[in-house]
Amino acid sequence: MKILVCIKQVGDEGEMNLFDAHALEEAILLKEQFSAAMMEPVSVDIVTAGSSGVKKIIRRAFGMGADRGYHIVKEDSGYDSSFVTASMLAAVAGKIPYDLILAGIMSEDMMAGQTGPMLAQILGMPCATGVIKTTLPTTDNIMQVEREMENGFRDCIAIRLPAVLTIQAGINNPRYPCLSNMLSANQKQIITFAQADLFPTPVRARESFAGMQDPEKTRSGRLLEGSLSDKAEQLFSFLRKKDLI
Amino acid sequence: MKQILVIAEIFENRVRKVTWELAAAALQIKADFSQKKESSDINTPDVYIIIPSDNPKPLVKEFLKQTSLNIIGLEIPELKTYTSEIYIACLGQLIRKMNPSHILAAHTSQGRDFAPGLALGLEAASIPGVNGIGSDEKGLIYSRSVFNNKKNMLVQPDPKRPVMLTLMPGVFKPYIHKSGKPGQVDIRKFFFNCGSGDKSRIQHQQVLKRSCENQALKVAKVVVAAGRGLGEEKNLNIVFRFAKCFFSSAVGASRPLVDMGWIGYEHQVGITGTTIAPKVYIACGISGSSQHIAGIKDAKFVISINKNYKAPISRYSDLCITEDVIEFIHAFLNLVDTKLLESDPVSNMGKIKSRVIRDEELHTKKE
Ligand SMILES: Cc1cc2nc3c(=O)[nH]c(=O)nc-3n(C[C@H](O)[C@H](O)[C@H](O)COP(=O)(O)OP(=O)(O)OC[C@H]3O[C@@H](n4cnc5c(N)ncnc54)[C@H](O)[C@@H]3O)c2cc1C
Ligand SMILES: Nc1ncnc2c1ncn2[C@@H]1O[C@H](COP(=O)(O)O)[C@@H](O)[C@H]1O
Repeated sequence: MKILVCIKQVGDEGEMNLFDAHALEEAILLKEQFSAAMMEPVSVDIVTAGSSGVKKIIRRAFGMGADRGYHIVKEDSGYDSSFVTASMLAAVAGKIPYDLILAGIMSEDMMAGQTGPMLAQILGMPCATGVIKTTLPTTDNIMQVEREMENGFRDCIAIRLPAVLTIQAGINNPRYPCLSNMLSANQKQIITFAQADLFPTPVRARESFAGMQDPEKTRSGRLLEGSLSDKAEQLFSFLRKKDLI
Repeated sequence: MKQILVIAEIFENRVRKVTWELAAAALQIKADFSQKKESSDINTPDVYIIIPSDNPKPLVKEFLKQTSLNIIGLEIPELKTYTSEIYIACLGQLIRKMNPSHILAAHTSQGRDFAPGLALGLEAASIPGVNGIGSDEKGLIYSRSVFNNKKNMLVQPDPKRPVMLTLMPGVFKPYIHKSGKPGQVDIRKFFFNCGSGDKSRIQHQQVLKRSCENQALKVAKVVVAAGRGLGEEKNLNIVFRFAKCFFSSAVGASRPLVDMGWIGYEHQVGITGTTIAPKVYIACGISGSSQHIAGIKDAKFVISINKNYKAPISRYSDLCITEDVIEFIHAFLNLVDTKLLESDPVSNMGKIKSRVIRDEELHTKKE
């Protein structure tokens, strides 16, 4: 079985997107379960589209146990379009017959939650989002998964592989990269693609960036002034006045 | 003639409330068109509510009582329960026969599941998690939350394409029925015809309900909630002690603490946890993600303790305390102890002691 995990670098420190760490962990857990049950071998590849700086998260993914890394060198266009990203990921994912593709439920920076389902649509695969539980696929390639809904509900579905799942936090506890994996990481291959190689005619975003704004305040946001103990004092008398303490 | 399509959110055979928020947004978009086009009414798109169901007639009938908007009952015999596969295929078939300028769905676990794939299949622009609609000379502009709710990004769709929007629930004021001439009603039947030929690739099995009804959180006058800013699991103790200071209180938590197994799910506040409305909500080391805030919209008074005033939680707070959360709570507990001793040294000494001793027990069991 071949698994591909889509990982994205986010934040000023260049961290792996939180939900992608959960997705990668889930892939590695599946691999371990497969080998424990002495079923067919599993490979876990990762793919990321980003600047040359993303090597750091690829190494981290190797440290967690990923086998192969694909890096699509993406030019920053000023607007991070899920459609463009999904098209790039599909161009790479389509080269290999993956059985399972995992992505995060959303990226912490763009918060779109679109890349996984769009990738599925391009590849013609079914997709389940917000997955909070998986089970090993049956011999006829059916996987039972639970999707998280609002208010404590869960949707239990059976999905036929090949498929795309987007992973919600809470499904597992991502492991820390381990030393022996980190040491062998340098021998692992990062296969790099240039955007232009994947797309002779560029894929264009279907929306455009029109600015950034500070969100509106919904409450006054009054700031307590003074020293630490002044603030404690003020809070105390406020709550005392409300007869809560 | 263009149309604005609203995809009703159906769950367990009922229309969800968020559908009326979508209808309101659709009318706002329509109003913007008619303003710009002034006299030529012909170009103003019409609003249609689409109700997908295996048996849409009763739902449509119910709906008719509440609206004068046009309704399309999308009858899909195979649609016993929602699956993205059926939605994308059948809504795609219907929408391709129409000429929409906008397609609206809710940014919920359901909308997020089918909308991106549907948009892609329709070659539409796609803007998820819309929390505001504005316009400039080039047309409508949509705002959406980015960078963990720290900023809003403004996005404009390619004007030559239809645009799929998923709207944040709880942002748009729900549409209230104004009587007028009833809209058109149409039932359209489509069979789910999956691409691969034989049988569908997603089978719905059941809906599970995890109990998240936490009466303690619902009835408490003060909810003290812990977030990732606590740093370490052992620091939860101090939050429990803090909560114990109040006459009527409970401890809440942001989701990551539950995910990490620090505290039980019944403490989780937010869109995938409990929704609460205490007199006072005290957020301790919580950043204020939209998913968390959705659970405390109706709190009477919100206090946040966060070392960073720039954290989004400040926007949702009546009172902000910019301090290290642990240091602040310690200072507060010391103060409370002093006050107790001042008021009645003999009987309160025991209280203070027992509070410290019981710390360990206060931890609720993890799942
Ligand atoms: C579909 C979906 C559903 C979700 N549902 C929920 C939900 O129901 N409830 C929920 O809570 N989340 C939910 N989330 C998760 C949500 O997106 C956020 O990840 C989460 O709310 C963040 O939790 P937090 O504020 O505790 O952590 P962070 O965002 O990491 O914030 C920590 C805060 O603590 C502050 N801080 C750090 N150190 C200190 C210190 N020493 N003293 C004081 N302050 C400090 C920081 O400045 C920061 O603001 C959901 C996510 C998704 C995708
Ligand atoms: N540039 C990227 N490279 C690899 N995977 C990505 C990228 N952008 C998004 N993804 C994947 O898609 C998920 C959802 O991202 P988004 O649609 O931006 O919210 C992420 O959690 C990743 O798994």
